[in-house]
Amino acid sequence: MLEYIKGFFELVKGLGITGKHLTKHAVTLQYPEEKDVMPERSRGVVVLLSDKEDGSLNCTSCLLCMKACPTAAIIIDAPRGEDKKKVLKKFELDFSLCCYCGLCEEACNFSALKLTGKYEYSTGNKDDLIWDVHKLQDVGRDVDYVDKRKKKVKKVAPKPTVSEATDEIKPTQSADKIETKPVEIKTDKIKTDKIETPQDKDEKPKTEGEA
Amino acid sequence: MIAVGITVALKEILASFGLSGGLLSVVTYAILASATFGLLSVLALFLVWWERKIAGHMQQRFGPMRNGWHGWYQTLVDGLKLLQKEDVRVATRDKVVFFWAPVMCFIAAFAAYIVIPFGDGLIVADLNIGILYIMAITTFTVISLLMAGWGSNNKYALLGGMRSAAQVVSYEVPMVASILVVVLYAGSLSTVDIVNSQAGNFLNWNIFRVPYGPLAFLTYLVAAIAEANRTPFDLAEAEQELVAGFNIEYSGMKFAMFFLAEFINLFTVSAIAVILFFGGWHGFEFIPSFVWFFLKTFAVVFLLIMIRWTYPRMRVDQLMEFAWKFLVPLTFLNIIIAAIFKHFGWYWEL
Repeated sequence: MLEYIKGFFELVKGLGITGKHLTKHAVTLQYPEEKDVMPERSRGVVVLLSDKEDGSLNCTSCLLCMKACPTAAIIIDAPRGEDKKKVLKKFELDFSLCCYCGLCEEACNFSALKLTGKYEYSTGNKDDLIWDVHKLQDVGRDVDYVDKRKKKVKKVAPKPTVSEATDEIKPTQSADKIETKPVEIKTDKIKTDKIETPQDKDEKPKTEGEA
Repeated sequence: MIAVGITVALKEILASFGLSGGLLSVVTYAILASATFGLLSVLALFLVWWERKIAGHMQQRFGPMRNGWHGWYQTLVDGLKLLQKEDVRVATRDKVVFFWAPVMCFIAAFAAYIVIPFGDGLIVADLNIGILYIMAITTFTVISLLMAGWGSNNKYALLGGMRSAAQVVSYEVPMVASILVVVLYAGSLSTVDIVNSQAGNFLNWNIFRVPYGPLAFLTYLVAAIAEANRTPFDLAEAEQELVAGFNIEYSGMKFAMFFLAEFINLFTVSAIAVILFFGGWHGFEFIPSFVWFFLKTFAVVFLLIMIRWTYPRMRVDQLMEFAWKFLVPLTFLNIIIAAIFKHFGWYWEL
């Protein structure tokens, strides 16, 4: 009999626990309406990055990513043009082959590709998983990244005079020629970028000095 | 049959249209039956949604969210889907039994509402054997489950049906015994008389007035959960052991009938609890009587839903042991104590 009375209070305790959970807010994420914030280093869709200032592709057609890719998901066609510079004719990434290992990003010395936290690209047609250069660039427009390439340019940049400097920027401008479509440049973005980069530069030495 | 309130009013209205005799009765009760049917259908749909919402939030999910505000018409859409579905029938079934089982389950669930007063005068017919009638008619549900189990010609279905029969036969005894305590104090089997005996102060409610009233309520509740085949006594359809128990071979509308009947039984059981122990439609005067009735009933339904989503299922032997070794002696003891108190007048009438 005592057992039953004890058991009854245990049952009430159980109801209390479920009742307590009833008042808590649900942990479910209402997916299409609410989206989770992806971690900064999450490996999702691969995108081609554009230059922060002129919006041209960072890619130099060096083929390192293509060679690093274990599943051969990247296909690049870049014949040499008249000035013996490589011209990026085709850059295709097949997401049905991609294994999101991130080796392409590691191989790239020019911050041309990045694995991002984007993930909504499912499609009913398998061919739509093969993305061309324009799509890869467009998706990557709003992606923030640390420019490995720019540092090298800027180390060289302060030394020569203005007239000489224009000659040196040419290689990056040659990438513009590959772009058959006119590149839409949002002036707001570039302005903010321009302001940010010097600030970063100024701040970095300060923090180092303080440390 | 003593007609009261709404029935009398409806009869007078219809008589003014020139109806009389047998036809008048038929038309009156047809209207009342369809009104009850409509109310209960909506209620069953609501209860399914409500149970899913509560279950979801208890597990920190949302439950149905897609159809309308917080999925309010989810069950309506589910019902429409079930209507459109193919009626799959096993070739080796017992044709007559298989067909009539869900119908009987549905009828048994609805028929109990003849004597349930939704409010002051809101009752189809005030039978002088009201509560006995409910006990008798709800037992048909068990027969229908047994029929479903037998007619399906499936071992799981038959096991589920047999379990259900054994369970309900066992729990009928403590249920009747806990109801008898109330009947002893009300001095009547009529549901209206039982409710009226608890009028006035809320301390007149049987749960407070009857000696060991909370105990009688608890034993009733346990037996009622067993009667309604709900967790922790849902052995008839124990998914993990019997796949789906008695309704394994049913699909489409036949399954929907079983499903809705289950939720109507849930409401019936709660409504009886309110009539017997919580003063039925009585409450503060400024709120209409039917509102009180529904408020109280939904509170009991909420408790039953909480119980369902809190406790695990009992084993068959535990179930039987609990009924015969514990509940039956306890409820009988309670009747004896209640009878002694009643005989010596040791109770209040405020």
